[in-house]
Amino acid sequence: MNEEIDEYDIYHQDFTTVSEWEVFIARLEEILNDWKLTKTKLLRFSEYTKKWISKSEDIVFQGIRFKISYNMLEPIDKKDNNDTTDDKFIFQEIQTGLWNSASKFMDDLDGSPYPVSNWFGLKRYLMLCSDIPLVEGSIIKLVMSSINIAFANVNCGVPVFAKIREHWQHNYQGLYEDHEYKVSFDTIHLKRISNQCSHLSGLVSLFKSKIASPVALDAVIVSAKFSYELKDSDSFAWRKLTRSNEFLSIDGFDVKKLIQLPFGSEKNPVASVLLNAIWPKFRESTIVDSSTFSDIDPIMAPIWMVSLQLRDQINCQLSDTVSKVMELLDNNFLLMDTLGLSRSLGLVNPLHKITEAPITISKLVKAAMGQSTNVSEFKGPIPDDLLMPLLYYVFPDAVDDNTFNYPDQLEIEYKGDGSDNKLCNYVKTSPQGGLVWRLSVTAARLYDAGGLQYLAHLWYEFTQELQYRWEHRILVPGVAEGAPNARTCLLHQKLQLLNCCIARAAEGSSIFAGNSSEDEFYDCSESESTEEQPPWDRPVGRLHRLEDASLKNGAPLYVPRTQDPAPKTEDQLEEDAELMVRLGDDAKASELRARMMSASLLSDMEAFKAANPGAELCDFVQWYSPRDWMPEDGGALGARMLLPGNPWMETWSVARPVPAVRQRRLFDETREAQQVLHFLRSRTVSAVAELLLPAILRAGAAKAIEEGASGGSVSVGGIDKRRTFEVAAREIYDAEREACRSLCVRTVFGEGREGEPLDVAGRARILAAAGGALPPPTRREFTLRVRDELAPQLMRAALATDLTIIGAFTERTSTIFVRSEPVTSCDPCYQRARIVVVVGASEIILRVVFMADCGRWCDRCGRAGQALCCDVSVSAARIGVGECVECACARPRSPGAPRNRSVARWYARSIPGRARFSSKPDNK
Amino acid sequence: MKNKEDTSSTTSGDEMAGGGDPKWQKDAADQNFDYMFKLLIIGNSSVGKTSFLFRYADDSFTSAFVSTVGIDFKVKTVFRHDKRVKLQIWDTAGQERYRTITTAYYRGAMGFILMYDITNEESFNSVQDWVTQIKTYSWDNAQVILVGNKCDMEEERVVSAERGRQLAEQLGVEFYETSAKENINVKAVFERLVDIICDKMSESLDSEPAMLAGGARGQRLTEQPQGNSNPNCNC
Repeated sequence: MNEEIDEYDIYHQDFTTVSEWEVFIARLEEILNDWKLTKTKLLRFSEYTKKWISKSEDIVFQGIRFKISYNMLEPIDKKDNNDTTDDKFIFQEIQTGLWNSASKFMDDLDGSPYPVSNWFGLKRYLMLCSDIPLVEGSIIKLVMSSINIAFANVNCGVPVFAKIREHWQHNYQGLYEDHEYKVSFDTIHLKRISNQCSHLSGLVSLFKSKIASPVALDAVIVSAKFSYELKDSDSFAWRKLTRSNEFLSIDGFDVKKLIQLPFGSEKNPVASVLLNAIWPKFRESTIVDSSTFSDIDPIMAPIWMVSLQLRDQINCQLSDTVSKVMELLDNNFLLMDTLGLSRSLGLVNPLHKITEAPITISKLVKAAMGQSTNVSEFKGPIPDDLLMPLLYYVFPDAVDDNTFNYPDQLEIEYKGDGSDNKLCNYVKTSPQGGLVWRLSVTAARLYDAGGLQYLAHLWYEFTQELQYRWEHRILVPGVAEGAPNARTCLLHQKLQLLNCCIARAAEGSSIFAGNSSEDEFYDCSESESTEEQPPWDRPVGRLHRLEDASLKNGAPLYVPRTQDPAPKTEDQLEEDAELMVRLGDDAKASELRARMMSASLLSDMEAFKAANPGAELCDFVQWYSPRDWMPEDGGALGARMLLPGNPWMETWSVARPVPAVRQRRLFDETREAQQVLHFLRSRTVSAVAELLLPAILRAGAAKAIEEGASGGSVSVGGIDKRRTFEVAAREIYDAEREACRSLCVRTVFGEGREGEPLDVAGRARILAAAGGALPPPTRREFTLRVRDELAPQLMRAALATDLTIIGAFTERTSTIFVRSEPVTSCDPCYQRARIVVVVGASEIILRVVFMADCGRWCDRCGRAGQALCCDVSVSAARIGVGECVECACARPRSPGAPRNRSVARWYARSIPGRARFSSKPDNK
Repeated sequence: MKNKEDTSSTTSGDEMAGGGDPKWQKDAADQNFDYMFKLLIIGNSSVGKTSFLFRYADDSFTSAFVSTVGIDFKVKTVFRHDKRVKLQIWDTAGQERYRTITTAYYRGAMGFILMYDITNEESFNSVQDWVTQIKTYSWDNAQVILVGNKCDMEEERVVSAERGRQLAEQLGVEFYETSAKENINVKAVFERLVDIICDKMSESLDSEPAMLAGGARGQRLTEQPQGNSNPNCNC
C-alpha cells in the first residue's frame, strides 16, 4: 500500500466510470449525445407525417440486455430547416400534445412501437426496454435514477421512458424535465379494479388529489368511451356465397356454376363486432357516475363507432381451390399413372428413364392404335352425365347447342394496357373466357371435388379430344388465332401451335389433293406470261414486284413467296437458345450457329432464284439486306458480303431455284402436332398443374376484381414460374380476405363508412342486431384533464377486467430555498463556499456554492470567474446523517444512490488529494 | 436441376427447369459466376451491332464483319460489387426478314442495346419501331439504352447528338453516342446497362415483401436451388 502513486495517472484517470453502474449512465449519455438529443440541438419541426421512425442501441447492465430506442414521427422535411429547439418550445410542444391527446383513447393505435406516444400525445420519445421484465423495486429504482441522471447531464430534450414490471402489463414510467418544469409520466396497472377507481367520481377525486393544487381547480374535462362486444354476429344479415362442389350433386347440377370459381368465405368471417360509445368531452359535473348511481347511458352517447373483428382463420374458398392445385406442384408422377394409362398410351415414367429416344411415328401410331382397343374401354371415375356437359362446355362446337359458344373475338390483353396495376397481371395470360380458362377452371373445381382421379380423367378426355381434332382437321375452339404468342401461357401456346398444324394440314391436304401443276403458285402478270421464256427457266412462286427494282440483268425484281418461319412455343425457343449457348462463343461455334440459322436463308434464296431466273447474289441482297447493296456502284455487293467464305455467298452458291411450295418444309406439321399431343399427355402431375395455374390464377384474380378487390401492388418480373405462382396465390388470398371483410363492412355499415361515426340508421341496425339492448360494457375508459396554473394535467383510466391508470403530471422544478450555511472545512478550497440545501418539488439537493473568485472553472463550459455550484441529489440517495459531502460524492458505488457525475469529475480534477477517495480510500 | 432430369425423357418440348425465366439461373455447367444477365443488341441492318459487341467482348475491330445470319451471341464476365456477373450478349440480324426469328429471343432478355447509325437517317427513324418490338415481345421490366453508333464518322453524320438525346428522353431511356471503331463509350454502355438492371432488380425485390417473407416455401427451395439462390442481388 506504500507504492508511489503517480499523480499523473490520477489526473488523467476518469474516476467517474469505474463502476458498472457509472458505465451504464455514461453509455446512456453517450447514446443521447450521439443522437443529438440535447435541448439546444434538436431540430424544430412544425409538421409531421403519420409515420414513425426509430433507431435503437443495445446496452447491457447487470446482466440485463437493454434496448434504448428513439422513436419519432417523421417530420415533413422543409429544406434548409436549421431551427433548433429550446426549453420553451419543447415544453410547449409536450403540453399541447398532452392536451390534444385527450381526443384519443388508450387503445387507439398510432403506429408507434410503444403506446406512450398515443397515451400522452408525444411526437418523440426515448424508451429504455429490458429483455427480461424489471420487477424488483430496487432495480427499477436504479434504472430510473440512471435515466434521471443521464437525462439531466445531457440536458435531454426528449421525454424518456422505461418499461417496467411484467411486459404484458404495459407499465411505462417516464420523465421530462427542464430548468423550470418537470413532467412525470406514470402508469399503474392493477389486476383487479379497486373500489375507488371503479367509477368516474372516484377517478376524479383521485385525479384531484394527485394534482394537490393549493388553489381551486377548474372543472375537470372528461372524455369517455364504453366498449361493447357483440358476439352473436350471425344476427347481422350475412350473405352466404357460392357453396363449392354443389355442382357435383346431380340434382343441382348446372354447368353454369362451373364458369365461376368459388369466392369468399363459407362461414361468417366476423368473429365479433366491437361497438364503442363515445362521449368526446363533458365537464365532470354534467354526468354522474358514482358507486351508487350512474346516469351514463350508452344509447345517449354522442358517437357510436363500430369495428369488425374477423376470425383469424377465414376459409376463403377461392384461395383454398388455388392452394390445392398449388400443392400438386410437388407431385412428380405422371398424371396418366393416376388412371393406370401410361403404358397403354405409350408413355414412359420419366422417373425410370432419364434419356429418351426420339418419338417415332410408329410409336405414336401404336399408341393411337392402343386407344382404339384397350383404351377405348377405359372408363374414368367421372360419371358420364357429369363428364359430357363438362366436355361440351370446354368444346362447345361439338354440339349444336349455342349456350356456351366462345366469343368470336378472343382478345389477348396487352400488358401496359392502362397504367393501373391489375391483380396478378404478371402471370401469363390467355384469352379471357377462352378454352384455356374454361379448362383450367373446370379442372381446378373437379380436382377440388374429386381429387387427382377426376383431374386425370378430365385431362385424359381433353387430350383425347385434341387427338381427335388433329386427326379430323378440326380447329380447337377458344384459342387465339395465329402463331404461338409468347405473352400467353404455355398451354395456350401449345394449343395455338396445334391449331397452326391443323390449319396447315387442312390446307395441305386440299392442295395436294387438288392438283399437281404449280400454276396456282406463281402469279406473273398477263404481260409477262406472254413474254417468250424458255420453259426450264420459267419464273415460279412470285409474290409481287419489289417496287421498280430490277435485277442486274435488267429484268424486274420479284419478291418470292417464301416459307414462314416455323411457329414455335416458348419452351421450344428456349431449347433452341440453350442449344446455341452450349456451342460456346468462339468463332467456330459462331460459324456453326450461322449454318444452323441458314435453313431459312437457304429457303428464301431458293425461292428468290425460282422467282427471278438469272438473278445474282447482289439482286437477292437488294431485296433482303438493302444496306449491303450499293446502287452507286452499279448494284455491287457491300464489303461484308464479299468477305471470303461468308455464309451468304456460300448459301447462295448451293441454293437451287426451288419455289417455296416445293421446298422441304421448314415446318413439319405432323411432327409438331404429334409432339404437342405427346407433350400434353406425358406431363407429370406437377407439370399439368403448371400448365393450368396461370389461367386459374388469372381467372381467380378476375373473380376477385369482380367481387370488388382492388388492384395488386406487386410488380413481379424475372423470377421463376413457381415463385410467380406463389406471389400470385398470396395476392389472391389477400384480395379474397379483404373482399370478405369489405362485404361484412357493407352489411354492418350500410351506407356508412368504416371508421366514421354511425348514422341513425346504422345505430338502429346495430341495436336491433344486439337484440334491443346492449350487454354490459367489456371495457370503460375515462380521460380526465384539467389545466392548472402550471400546465395541463392528464389522467386516463381504462377499466376492463383489470385496471390501468396512466397520468402525466407537471410540477415546478424551481427550488425552494431552505438553508444556507458556510462550509466548515479546513480545506482552502472551501473557504467562502456555502452549502445550500434546496428542496425541489420532487427532490432534495445539496448544493455547494463557490464564490466567483474561487479560481475554479465550470466543468461544462470551462469558463472561470463565475460562481460555481455542485449539486448532489439526496432524495434518491440514502445519505446517512453526518456524512460529509466528499463522502457523499465518493460513495455512490452503493447501488441506488445517484451521483452527479459532473461533480465527481470536478472533484477529481480540481482537488487531487480528494480524488484518492474515489479510487483508493485505503490510502488516506 | 432435378426437375429437368425427371422429365427429360419426354418430348423435346419439355420446359420444366429450363422453362423458368432464366434471370436468376446459374448454368449448371459453369458455376464461375454469381449472376447471369441476358442482353440483346438490336437495330437496323449494318448499324454496327456486331462490331460493337466484338469491341466489347474481344476488344477488336474489323471494318467489315459478316452480316449476322439470324442470331449469335458472346459471353463476357464482369465484376460488380464483388459479384461476378456473366453477360450473355445476343447479337441479332437487323434485316427485316429476320424480325420473326430474332424477336423470339427477346423474352428473357433483361437489357436491350438499341442501336442506330448516326450516318444513316433511316436507322434512326426505325428506332420507334424497335421500341414497339421490345414492348411487344420482352419482359415488362427489361431495360433499354439507346445508342448512336459510328460517332467517329463526324463528316458523314446526319443525325445530331441532340436529336438522339431528345428521342431517348421521349422514350424514357438513357442515351450514348459510341464508336466501336475508336472504342468510344462501348464499355460505358454495357456497364451502365448492368447498373440499371441491378437497380431495377433490387427495386422490384423491395416491392415484393410477399416473396421475401417466404411463407410456406421451405422445401420447394431445395428443388430449384438455381432459381432461388439469392434473391438479394447486391451486385
